[in-house]
Amino acid sequence: MHEIDVKAGLLAPNDAVARENRHLLAEHGLYAVNLMSAPGSGKTSLLERVLPLLAERHRVGVIEGDIVGSADKERLDRFGGPVHQINTGAACHLDARMVHHVLHHLAEDGCEVAVIENVGNLVCPAEFDLGEDDAVMLLSVTEGHDKPKKYPLMFRRADLVIVNKVDLLAHTDFSFQAAVAAVRDVHPGVAILSTSCRTGEGIEEVVAWLERRIEFKRAAPLAAPAGHAR
Amino acid sequence: MHEAGIALNLIEAVQQRLASDPGARVAAIHVRVGELAGVSTDALDFAFECLSASTPLAGARLVFDLVPLTLLCGACGKTSPVEDLVFRCGACGSERTRIASGRELEVRTLELVEETEVAHARD
Repeated sequence: MHEIDVKAGLLAPNDAVARENRHLLAEHGLYAVNLMSAPGSGKTSLLERVLPLLAERHRVGVIEGDIVGSADKERLDRFGGPVHQINTGAACHLDARMVHHVLHHLAEDGCEVAVIENVGNLVCPAEFDLGEDDAVMLLSVTEGHDKPKKYPLMFRRADLVIVNKVDLLAHTDFSFQAAVAAVRDVHPGVAILSTSCRTGEGIEEVVAWLERRIEFKRAAPLAAPAGHAR
Repeated sequence: MHEAGIALNLIEAVQQRLASDPGARVAAIHVRVGELAGVSTDALDFAFECLSASTPLAGARLVFDLVPLTLLCGACGKTSPVEDLVFRCGACGSERTRIASGRELEVRTLELVEETEVAHARD
């Protein structure tokens, strides 16, 4: 019996394509944001609010990731920019390869902003770097304030955490303070905002955050690898 | 549940390493898995067993080397373990830390069965 070395990263194939994506985005001055959350947290509802505001100043394209179907794409089509559906079949997340050709397409199409709505899942998408500039994750009030400690990788990965459905705070036992404390334990210093897609509360702040990041991208085109979790 | 894809990457990486040694028989594959790698070793084991069945790696064991989650502090320079998922320096309490270990997910080494052992087993 003898031993030989291998030293091969098991996510290396995805990370290699993510690197290509990052260079593609830098080359075309395209800012990409990867929106992640559990199913039903309000990703599509948030985009219905945010996309028309972003589109006032930028050409925005959307990549809509779902296991099957195009119900969300149909909702987002109304904002007027290009919306590309990716159906993952059985896969519980988008990976760098799946979004690569669509990012290419959006860049060729003259987009300045690519919004990627990932498959609703708090586990798997956290593992797969898409090459995006920023990861934004939604935690909705109905999910409970304990989630950051249950899905730490996702919250580590996020550049911005949005507490959504705050109009329901009065009807649940969700503690906003406990949620913020848990997020800060797992990821000190991460930006935290709160929204209600029903009332529109907090939407302007989300748009302002994205505008700052788009501006930052102009100044420093090549994004760092999805670094916070690494 | 993305362990099937990771198992396929693992099989691919090992077969690439053995490309120059097609007769080699693998007894065990040592995999380093960080505490915060986001991978279930049971699911990976099961996926590997199923997906390697039709490959030369069929029957090889996965041996997991679990790596604890630790932080390197940017303020005091010390390394400390993460307890209760609180990502602050265990020595000075600073929030300026980065993960020093615990995100690993890689094949490290292979245990190969020597040709003589193979021959012996056939007797």
